Amino acid sequence: MLEIKNLHVVVEEDGTEILKGVNLKINEGEIHAIMGPNGSGKSTLAKVVAGHEAYEITDGDILFEGESILELDPDERAHLGLFLAFQYPVEVPGVTNKTLLREAYNTIAKERGREELDPLEFEDYVHERLDIVEMKPEFLDRSINAGFSGGEKKRNEIFQMAVLDPKISFLDETDSGLDIDALKIVSKGINHLAGENNAICLVTHYQRILDYIVPDFVHVMLDGKIVKSGDKKLAVELEEKGYDWLNDLASVSVNGEQK
Amino acid sequence: MPDIKKQDTFLSDLLAKETSLNGKSTAIKKLRQKGLEDVQKTSFPGRKDEDWRFISLRELYSDSYIPASQIEVTLPDISELFIEESKNARLVFVNGRFSADYSSTDALPEEVTLGNIADLSADGEALVDKHLNAYGDFEDDIFSSFNTAMLQDGAFIHVPKGMKVDTPVQLLFVQTDADEPYFTTSRCLILAEEDSEITVVEDHVGVGENKYFSLPVVEVNLERGAYVKHTKIQRESMQAIHIARTAAHLKQHSNYESYTITIGAKLSRNEPRITQLEEEVEFTVDGLVLIDGDQVSDTHSVMDHRFSHCESHQLHKCVINGKAHSVFNGKIFVRKDAQKIDSFQENRNLLLSRKGLVNTKPQLEIFADDVVCTHGATIGHLEEDEVFYLKSRGLNDHQARELLTYAFALETIENITVDSVQELLVDEVHNYTSRTLQNQD
Ligand SMILES: Nc1ncnc2c1ncn2[C@@H]1O[C@H](COP(=O)(O)OP(=O)(O)O)[C@@H](O)[C@H]1O
Ligand SMILES: [Mg+2]
Repeated sequence: MLEIKNLHVVVEEDGTEILKGVNLKINEGEIHAIMGPNGSGKSTLAKVVAGHEAYEITDGDILFEGESILELDPDERAHLGLFLAFQYPVEVPGVTNKTLLREAYNTIAKERGREELDPLEFEDYVHERLDIVEMKPEFLDRSINAGFSGGEKKRNEIFQMAVLDPKISFLDETDSGLDIDALKIVSKGINHLAGENNAICLVTHYQRILDYIVPDFVHVMLDGKIVKSGDKKLAVELEEKGYDWLNDLASVSVNGEQK
Repeated sequence: MPDIKKQDTFLSDLLAKETSLNGKSTAIKKLRQKGLEDVQKTSFPGRKDEDWRFISLRELYSDSYIPASQIEVTLPDISELFIEESKNARLVFVNGRFSADYSSTDALPEEVTLGNIADLSADGEALVDKHLNAYGDFEDDIFSSFNTAMLQDGAFIHVPKGMKVDTPVQLLFVQTDADEPYFTTSRCLILAEEDSEITVVEDHVGVGENKYFSLPVVEVNLERGAYVKHTKIQRESMQAIHIARTAAHLKQHSNYESYTITIGAKLSRNEPRITQLEEEVEFTVDGLVLIDGDQVSDTHSVMDHRFSHCESHQLHKCVINGKAHSVFNGKIFVRKDAQKIDSFQENRNLLLSRKGLVNTKPQLEIFADDVVCTHGATIGHLEEDEVFYLKSRGLNDHQARELLTYAFALETIENITVDSVQELLVDEVHNYTSRTLQNQD
């Protein structure tokens, strides 16, 4: 479904290289986890896939269902079925969750040749989706993420995913900010959403969320490269040993917090 | 035809010609005479005047204007401008002249007076003669003097003691299309007696795309416990010049809540001036400005806290596109011994283009010590993080920017309690955003 080939990315503004040749292939029905220490480039990868303008791709390609998406705007990628749950969800004062989601849902529906929903139909649909992450209906009429706690923001990201029903979702540090009960609920929601026809890529520093969402593949990212891939046992190993033992696999030493 | 700047001959010429202005009411005639004298004593402002240094009045001075009464009126169907809630509580003025045909006051209780200033004064309405020009305390201001010198028609509202009027009143000032630039002055006098309540929608509309000069003056007096909600919508022609003054006087326990929405005119200037006359009052002077192209909008406000215990609020929001220019100068006075004042002022500017210009200047003069005065000004663009976030959810660039601009503007509109005015303004914001997002530079 998604294929990332030898992806090199620099910060547009100052040319700093962040991704240094990432290769990754994700198929339908799979759950992947990308792990790695802070600063290794995980969020950058997720944002580049979503089409963030701050980054420039200097080499490589990203293919979605066989076609390059590099020339597409973020909204066009969303129309194809790409979704990013942000590590730091943005607050948008004055625009309610419901307004955004109805406009987004109908725009995507139109692009994908699905039926658009009128306000009443959307109301029913959206309430049904709220249940997936056990979110209160009050959140629909609140400004997007404005004044939400860290955990509420993360849950709201997964709620948006539930409404938009994407084909492939990058979930960036979704567990951070969630207490254990919320983590269980949100994980249950993600497991419910994961299916034969879609794929999920968890991006996480910690192994904690992988206790609840079992990945088919685990990749380790160090200094802008995926240096090791394996199955869920790799995650356990990382939890025990940290990332240090992998250092010699990266060409440059790792900066940032070590675990 | 008269050149506005040659004021020594201009007005006397004009008054001599305006036979319709004569007669009827001696009180108005006297005021006019006084206005005329004041005009002759003052000169028209220029860049050198501190209060006018941010904008140029060349647009005003570059033409000569004929009195609106001298142009032929061709009026399209204006019924779509009527506010549903004010169906029978409406005064209409066409080019400054009262139109009995379009006006209707049936919905109001008998005790409430709503009518044309000139007619009421001619009929001996003592309240008009007593209160007219008693609140417009704009010293040495040639524009309000000019308005007084031309006094004739205008809106008069009197709400008697204890009367709470549910029906909002619409004061509709329609400016017609014409080949020649003309000027029009209008006047409103709103008297809210003790413990009375009224909602007024003052609506200035240009139906053509022509140049004219509109100069309204509004006076509001709130007796003890009175509550006046005042929404002003300025949607003049995009070539028009709109220079307005609004003065409100507040007595104890009264509340003046005003929202001024600026959409039209090439050059507009609002001067709200709120004066506290007794302790314990509350007021709001919020504004929303949506400008584009080469529009200029200037707000010079004065909030004059003279006695203790006052809560005041001013949120002035501007959206600027193209080469438009927004000026805000908000004066806050807190006089000596006016303690326990809680005053909030903020000017927030959203610049959609690179060439837009903003001048903002809060001006605090505080002579008391037990005062909370929050004030601030911000100038910003749309947050690119927010745009990206919305786009990542599938909204295109236009939708994302429109939604964010709309959200910025909404805060002011939300507070307006007349539903169809809210709807009308929501439409205006949509028109503005879809228009501006087409042509950005
Ligand atoms: N827009 C940017 N401008 C400058 N530096 C950036 C930008 N985005 C990411 N970086 C840098 O790239 C590195 C990787 O960041 P990030 O992808 O957020 O890592 P992770 O998510 O793995 O913690 C960090 O050193 C970070 O400071
Ligand atoms: Mg990250």
